[in-house]
Amino acid sequence: MIAVWMLTWKELIRKKVTLMTLLLTVLFWIAFYFIARSAGASVSHYESGIISLDNLIDRFRGSAILLWIGFFFASFATGFLAIFSSVAAVTGEAEHGVLQSVFARPIKRTHWYLGRWLGFVTFCLAYALLLFVSIIGIVAYATGVHPDWSSIGPALVLFVSPVLLMVTLTMLASCWLAPLGNGVAMVLLFGMGWVGTMLDRVIAAGMFASNDSTKTSDTMEMVSGLIRLLIPTDALQQRMLSDLFQVKDLGQSFTSRDSLGYFSIVNPPSDAFLYYTAVYFVFFLAAGLFAIRRKDF
Amino acid sequence: MSYAIETFGLTKNYGNGRGCHDVTLRIPAGEAFGFLGPNGAGKSTIVKMLVGLTAPTEGKALLFGQPAGSVEARRRIGYLPELFRYPGWLSGEEAMVFHAKLCGMKGAELKRRINRLLDEVGIGQRGKDRIKGYSKGMQQRLGLACALLADPDIVFLDEPASALDPVGRHEVRELLQRLRKEGKTIFLNSHLLEDVELLCDHVALLNNGRILADGRVSDVLRASTRWRFRVGGMTPELLDWLREAMIVPVDIIPWEGGDTPAWGEHWLEAELAEDEQVGYFNRLLMEQGLTLYETRKVKSSLDEWFLQAVSGLEHRGENR
Repeated sequence: MIAVWMLTWKELIRKKVTLMTLLLTVLFWIAFYFIARSAGASVSHYESGIISLDNLIDRFRGSAILLWIGFFFASFATGFLAIFSSVAAVTGEAEHGVLQSVFARPIKRTHWYLGRWLGFVTFCLAYALLLFVSIIGIVAYATGVHPDWSSIGPALVLFVSPVLLMVTLTMLASCWLAPLGNGVAMVLLFGMGWVGTMLDRVIAAGMFASNDSTKTSDTMEMVSGLIRLLIPTDALQQRMLSDLFQVKDLGQSFTSRDSLGYFSIVNPPSDAFLYYTAVYFVFFLAAGLFAIRRKDF
Repeated sequence: MSYAIETFGLTKNYGNGRGCHDVTLRIPAGEAFGFLGPNGAGKSTIVKMLVGLTAPTEGKALLFGQPAGSVEARRRIGYLPELFRYPGWLSGEEAMVFHAKLCGMKGAELKRRINRLLDEVGIGQRGKDRIKGYSKGMQQRLGLACALLADPDIVFLDEPASALDPVGRHEVRELLQRLRKEGKTIFLNSHLLEDVELLCDHVALLNNGRILADGRVSDVLRASTRWRFRVGGMTPELLDWLREAMIVPVDIIPWEGGDTPAWGEHWLEAELAEDEQVGYFNRLLMEQGLTLYETRKVKSSLDEWFLQAVSGLEHRGENR
């Protein structure tokens, strides 16, 4: 299993996808730094010397919006890396005739699968950690506001969870789907998570506030809930941002919806949803292990 | 007698009429076995079931008494797939190290064995190059080296010489002959019947997923009883007379190597089971005043055996 894990790292490092991802990440860092610096300047230059509550809230709002933007990029960068690194894990490699010689070796298929999974997951986690630290670092440096240290650990766990989910789902689907089909399917599934959150925003913004709109809102809430259950990645992201901004603790003085506008955190999932996500993850990882054992090559 | 490979009613049903049906084989340890058949006959399906890549729908297979596909069985095999590729971003040596680790090999012995095998298959120092720069023939050689990595007791080779030039084919043939002398069991799936004929002790012919014929190669080749005679002065009347005198089929066959010479030489072919019949035939030719230039037994080949066995049958692999 360790040999397969190490080979997966070697593959990801040698393939150009890693190089391109890092290059684009550097570009993002540069752009994000300048955005953060200019936003930080605009919220902190007035009221010099005296920190009023309004000024504090302005700075906090600025920092929250920057984090939202940074993690929006980070979410799809890590999601896409997770998808496209593992998209050809099974069928793609079998089509190229790579797996036939591997599975004739005295190694359990489940060990090979777990080795590949660990390889993809640890690589993407390393990248996610890099993004997480850099985004918080850039925002803290530019605005002088940093999240509470106690919230960073749980937020990091929530931030990297979609990587686990996407690698697990993509590898499972790769047991049946060819790389192109699998890539398209997983991107659509991942994107659907965003749609769920957007629906929540639309409902929260009261865009269906007319007299007979209750039924429409109910339907949309139900669709949004189902989407979250189908693909919990973006819901986890919302919970991560909610925890990071400590929206609950700020209470009346800072209402996310009123203060952040489009960047508000709407309906962050409950702890029960996190348990559901853990079961979801274990179920699909087990399904992948089952599928690889049964597959004919 | 201990058997390296045993199959009992091995069946794979893909649901589209393809696969194989009720294949029962017994291959003694240390033998070279040639598996023949037209395209699409199901040969690769059987090999895949034996090496554990595909699960049978019915029946079972044992390798040295262990269920095919089990980790214990796979510990004793080396496999060169028909259509395979190693990752192009690895070097040949790295691919072999990876496969060696999958076999549980480690330490200095691993390095020595890899270098020796790379030399044996003719890759040598190019083992350090990335595989994406290898020719198809070199990839085939690397595949062969990988198949032999764990010093397997059974080597499954699916078209091992398909991408090789004549020199490469000759080298592979020599390598396989050496393996056979070392007592390895070789399961050779090949369309190059000349290679099968030179290497294998036993052959089986598969058509439409079923075993059509099988036997020892020596028996298959011995089955021929045809003799050829190069004679001068033959006439149609004499031919009729010879047929009546011998009571066996005697025919004039097309001249080997071009037009019939002007002085009336012909090649006669006759089915003669006993050496005494050959002597008698010679005597009759001399008594009739014919000139006998050359006499030889027609050497039977696997090609002929193969073609005879499948002639007139439908092959599902191709639209004919």
